[in-house]
Amino acid sequence: MPNTAKAPVADWFTLDQLHDDPYPIYARLRREAPIAWVPATGGYFLTSYQACRDVNLDQRIFTATRDYTRRYSMGASMLHKDDPEHAVERKAFGGVLKPNAINRDWNRIFAENARRYLGELREAGPGADLVEHFSGPFAAECLREMLGFQNAAHEDVHRWSQTIMDGNSNSDDDEAVWERYRRSGEEIDAALDEMIPRLRSNPDGSLISALVNGPEPMSLESVRANVKMTVGGGVKEPRDTLVIAMWGLLSHPDQLDQVRNDPGAATLAFDEAVRWVSPIGMYPRKATRPTTLAGIDLPEGANLGVVIASANRDETVFANGEEFDLNRERKPHLAFANGAHICAGQHAAKAMIGRVALPTLLAGLPGLRPAQDTEPRSGGWIFRRIHELRLTWDA
Amino acid sequence: MARIVYRYGDGTTRAVERATPASVMRAAVEAGIPGIVGECGGQTMCATCHVYVADGYLDRLPDIGDDEEEMLGCTASPRDEVRSRLSCQIVVGSGLDEIEVEVPETQI
Repeated sequence: MPNTAKAPVADWFTLDQLHDDPYPIYARLRREAPIAWVPATGGYFLTSYQACRDVNLDQRIFTATRDYTRRYSMGASMLHKDDPEHAVERKAFGGVLKPNAINRDWNRIFAENARRYLGELREAGPGADLVEHFSGPFAAECLREMLGFQNAAHEDVHRWSQTIMDGNSNSDDDEAVWERYRRSGEEIDAALDEMIPRLRSNPDGSLISALVNGPEPMSLESVRANVKMTVGGGVKEPRDTLVIAMWGLLSHPDQLDQVRNDPGAATLAFDEAVRWVSPIGMYPRKATRPTTLAGIDLPEGANLGVVIASANRDETVFANGEEFDLNRERKPHLAFANGAHICAGQHAAKAMIGRVALPTLLAGLPGLRPAQDTEPRSGGWIFRRIHELRLTWDA
Repeated sequence: MARIVYRYGDGTTRAVERATPASVMRAAVEAGIPGIVGECGGQTMCATCHVYVADGYLDRLPDIGDDEEEMLGCTASPRDEVRSRLSCQIVVGSGLDEIEVEVPETQI
């Protein structure tokens, strides 16, 4: 038996510091304690690539299920179930978010929306914010169509997504955040109550249609939970990934030129962006029994923060991992997780951003560059984003 | 005991022996065999466990299902119309006791 040890205590940083810039903290944790007890979160941080990857190899020891102690719950989506329950719901998503459907149905919609919001960005003029005028409405409108919410506007879907994700990372227990979270849940339930009968009578290629018309239709409770989970991640993550990818390119003019000259390289920029600043920086798991991971003892019931934002900069895997470099040696990153819970939307996100949005923006905005000299403001560690990215171009 | 041989482009091989049934992907991931990623854990949601099956084993494998067919369209190394499979869909230890696969140059 190898020697095992208790996890070192990491009490030298605060949640506020983590929110401002988690990366120096993660780098020190990887050096000193890749599995650490973090009193500020009441859990263990897993910050090495190996630990974050290995935790997903055995769902019996590391469960995705959780206790619903939050004041307002969106219900258990497949994200918080283990197999075999998880696999049943995963299967109900069918092919809606997979390559054949993307080629058949969604690429055309992505392209139409990219043209439309490029027009709105141009209309706003140089100095416009990429988040407000392009990535937010673009991601929300694409998701609205993929879900099949014919009775909602992209503004609704965008608001639902942001308030759900704010709730999911409401570690301060802010009452106003919970109130917005609860209201979005009610709005989604009402929109679903209207859409489900319509899509039962007239099935289409949308996700809600697949969930209610599939060979084994989901219960209403599960439809609601899984649609809310999809809304939460499905707008915010592509919205923020596009902005991170754009900032990566704008802050590295040689790489920007490369993608401008070879739009096919935009998918590399997409992959590098999610590795560099992973929009979902951490997700939880729980130990179902006493176990050891990478030589560290973990007790039964241990709350684990799988810090993939850190794993994706692990210097033992990614040389010079703190840098944005779309030409780096290609290695599997963990931005979409690995194993059973790998992101169901990853192929759609890659097409939306890497194949459509980035090339459309670079082709449509000659001389594209940042409008400000300073680095854009970023925040968050569970979910990290660039809040605003002002652009200018040769009008 | 089932035996899987993973062959690389440079001519080297790695072998794994399994006492219990497992997919060729899962056996590789658990044994730390390089070149098989298996990102999605065997749900045919990715194509990062792509292999070229060696001659002599192909007709002993189950047919390619719709999900596998879809993802074989997304392999990082070129698909071989005859020999390409996703190794998560090939199980040893229940009816198939040995297989040899070639690991492609890249999976991502």
